[in-house]
Amino acid sequence: MFDWISDNRASIALVIIIGLAVVFVFSIFVGVKQTGLRAKDEVFGDPERTKGGWYWALCGVSALLLVWFYYSWGAARAVFPTAANELCQVAKVEEAMSPISAALPVGSRYLKSTTLVVRNAAQVDKLAVSMPAEVFTLREQAKLTLAVAQIKDLLAVLSSPALSDPAAKSAFLAVEVSLRDVAKRLQADYRELQPQKEALQQPKWGTSEVEIPLLPVTGKGVLLDSVTQDVQEVAKAFLKVRNISPQAKQLIADTKEILKELKTPDPLMQLDEAGEGTRNAYVKAVDRIFKRIDDGTIFPAQAMDGVHFAVNEVFASLAVAKGGLSVVESLFFPGHGVVKSRTQCTEQGSGRWLPKPTDVIATFSTLANPDLESGGGYKGTTLLWWKWLPIADVVAFLMPDGLVDMLPGSYGTHGDSGEFKPNYKDRLLAFAQGDVNLGSVPMLDGHIWDSLFRVLVAMGFGILVGVPLGIYMGVSRFFKSFFDPLIELYRPVPPLAWAPLILTIFGIQDDGKIFLLFMVAFAIMVISARTGASGTQLSKIRASHSLGATNGQILRHVILPNAMPEILTGIRIAIGVCWGTLVAAEMLAGTTGIGFIENVARTVSDYELIWVTILIMGLLGLLFDLVMRWAIAKIIPWRGKG
Amino acid sequence: MNKTFKKYMAASAIVIAGGIASAAHAADSVNVAFFLEWATPNQIAKVDKAYDDAMGVDVNWTDFSTGVQMTEAMLAGDIDIAYSQGLAPFVTAIQQGAPLKMVSVAVVYEANDCFVNDTLGITSANASELEGQTVAVPLNTMADFSFRKQMAALDVDISTMTIVDQAPADGAVSLADGSVAMACIFGGASAKAAGEVGTPIMSSQEKTDAGIGSFDVVSVTEKFATENPDLLRTFLQVTEEANQAWKGKTLQIKKVSADAGMDFETTKDQMAGFIFPTIAEQQSGYFGEDGVAVSAAESLGLVFKKPGAWNVDEKIAKVITGEFLE
Repeated sequence: MFDWISDNRASIALVIIIGLAVVFVFSIFVGVKQTGLRAKDEVFGDPERTKGGWYWALCGVSALLLVWFYYSWGAARAVFPTAANELCQVAKVEEAMSPISAALPVGSRYLKSTTLVVRNAAQVDKLAVSMPAEVFTLREQAKLTLAVAQIKDLLAVLSSPALSDPAAKSAFLAVEVSLRDVAKRLQADYRELQPQKEALQQPKWGTSEVEIPLLPVTGKGVLLDSVTQDVQEVAKAFLKVRNISPQAKQLIADTKEILKELKTPDPLMQLDEAGEGTRNAYVKAVDRIFKRIDDGTIFPAQAMDGVHFAVNEVFASLAVAKGGLSVVESLFFPGHGVVKSRTQCTEQGSGRWLPKPTDVIATFSTLANPDLESGGGYKGTTLLWWKWLPIADVVAFLMPDGLVDMLPGSYGTHGDSGEFKPNYKDRLLAFAQGDVNLGSVPMLDGHIWDSLFRVLVAMGFGILVGVPLGIYMGVSRFFKSFFDPLIELYRPVPPLAWAPLILTIFGIQDDGKIFLLFMVAFAIMVISARTGASGTQLSKIRASHSLGATNGQILRHVILPNAMPEILTGIRIAIGVCWGTLVAAEMLAGTTGIGFIENVARTVSDYELIWVTILIMGLLGLLFDLVMRWAIAKIIPWRGKG
Repeated sequence: MNKTFKKYMAASAIVIAGGIASAAHAADSVNVAFFLEWATPNQIAKVDKAYDDAMGVDVNWTDFSTGVQMTEAMLAGDIDIAYSQGLAPFVTAIQQGAPLKMVSVAVVYEANDCFVNDTLGITSANASELEGQTVAVPLNTMADFSFRKQMAALDVDISTMTIVDQAPADGAVSLADGSVAMACIFGGASAKAAGEVGTPIMSSQEKTDAGIGSFDVVSVTEKFATENPDLLRTFLQVTEEANQAWKGKTLQIKKVSADAGMDFETTKDQMAGFIFPTIAEQQSGYFGEDGVAVSAAESLGLVFKKPGAWNVDEKIAKVITGEFLE
């Protein structure tokens, strides 16, 4: 069942996309109608105006999902399941053409030969004026000047159509003819072509580790693929063409001879180590430029005209062969298109870093599978499941072993016959270490629970400590003046800055991570409670005071309820920030947790996994917020109605 | 034409010109990625502009802190050659289908060490005592690979261990605290810190005997390799020349240390553990038939393989080539 769904995710996505489009249009329709109905009875600014409106929520969510489908190429895969494979074949042809087009002004401004001539000529000129005369004898200087002049001559000979190698001319003609042939073949009818059996057995686009399989699965693809092999041959022939005419050959041989002689210094010249270094470096520099052009890869500007036309023809034919595929590509494949690598084709641009919604769900289901043996979970831990928690472990956690050490007496030793009889201290130690059976309780387990646990405990402490302190800071001069500088000093420090200290102070267990989150929650809770307490209307406090309320009663019945809206908003904000800090906290010493998954996924650029963790954190945050909204409505129903 | 409109025109003209310039840029300059604090002899060639001179183009060097970032930059088209990318990020990039290839071996070095806290008295002789302990490992790095290989060689069952994902610097701290029994470390400074309180579980000799070693690769984008094979060949040649010229002289080390951003002593120590194989050695030992390059990449691929698909042996060999070594 799961495999079937996984294999057919493209078609399922299509159904979902159509559904989303319908919902999107329908919700706008309902929304506009409802707005029209109510437009007259509501006053602008009335909070009642924000109540309800499920249709706009639907509209927003479906729009977001549609954008996601579009930019992740999910829509493209759903509507045109074979398009990526065809684009992969196009990429193959383009790749095979690239050695030829790289030599031509195709996708660049200048001929490669032009670039080489201009660049090398400039460098030769620069070398000629910067000759360090002091390290060469006059004879050597003359030789060098000659060599430089000959290199310039060589550039001229290579660039001259009259002096160019006739063999190169005919070779280019052959390339041109082959390319025109390729162009013609690209226009052939492909409807009759059948893909190989092997190709059809490949996994579908994006259902396996191989993103887009290489072998063509459509007639058009088969045609493009078969052309690729021919183009590769042509490109190979093209790269072999050399422009070495008899004149060039003579010049090359002469220059080579001169440079060879120059490699050994004239014995008449006495040079120290530095001088020798300068000399060798200069000769080498000249030699290098010479070596760059002595292989005859510079051609006259007109020599490749025919090839250039033929290349344009090939690309034109390729565009024709692509046909509707070009439209599909520009409309449905935002980003950098399909790129061919050695073993597969891959999506580049938003298709690469934004996985398709259906793929994210598939990854999520694998993660959520509690059966670790069959590849579920992540790094040996489930995503969210339950387990039996031995009560003894809880006792061991709460009871330090050191307590037992402090008791009188010593631990047992083994007897003469190798037996061991534990005394009372051994038994107590076993208890303190959790080596006893006290029964078990079911307990949640997994990455999500671990993260949740850390956030909840940190929030709990933050509220328990932060709210009373904040309220007292709102009502007491001592508390305000004493704690204000401390809290304001640490509050602006980003949590990550504490991280190195936390590791040293708390070690690698949960307490350090919880403390990091606590510090975040604590500051927010203090400030919100304080703002709430100090914002209480003076008239209310005085009224209750004159009615005979004690300090405690004023605190409980006047100030606390007045601070409640601020406190609850503070909790909402603090939970959000805690989730934000979680990734940093779990980076310290990751063993489990959503942040840990993300940190590991990042090291291998596993974007699907990264998005799954982002979505889990977002959804959990949303869940918390919904709970908080419900709590706010229950606890302070009077808010905004005063 | 009013002023605002003119401004817009000028701005868009600049943007368009910029776009074209960056498209045409590729042929005239080569972008190379390298690691800071990872000293190699070719940094002398880099500083002396020997690459620019030999290749006849501007060679721009950009430093990165991880190999994964190098892959990302190569995929974005900002980097053509990564000089000394770790084998681990290279293999994981290939597993993700990145259009890259390995063309040379940059640095061969001893496998990363796993330091055991000295107070535990665990050595390679009684390594099985590590079972059930907590260890710090930077997951999915060469240190992780080395950890798995060493534990396999020592016959320690890692499924009994609690493996904590920690960056080397954090791992060294946790080792000193005693919160982990063993920390696997890469990087000079962290290894030094871990060495203060711990001892490597396997000595250099033991690692060599067990055939555990690492090397960094030179990787390039497929596009660059097909379009500019001559530039790539020259690049590797200049690297070879720089390696040949390396004598470990004080002056040389000073030059490299300045460029690598490390002090003299650290550079010297680090480079003492490095081997820079010559092109001949690479052709015979790494890229020939049954070459180390393919077999190491394959075994690394198997370690980091996701459960399920990917036939490592079928794929990795296709992206490893010695054809540009001359």
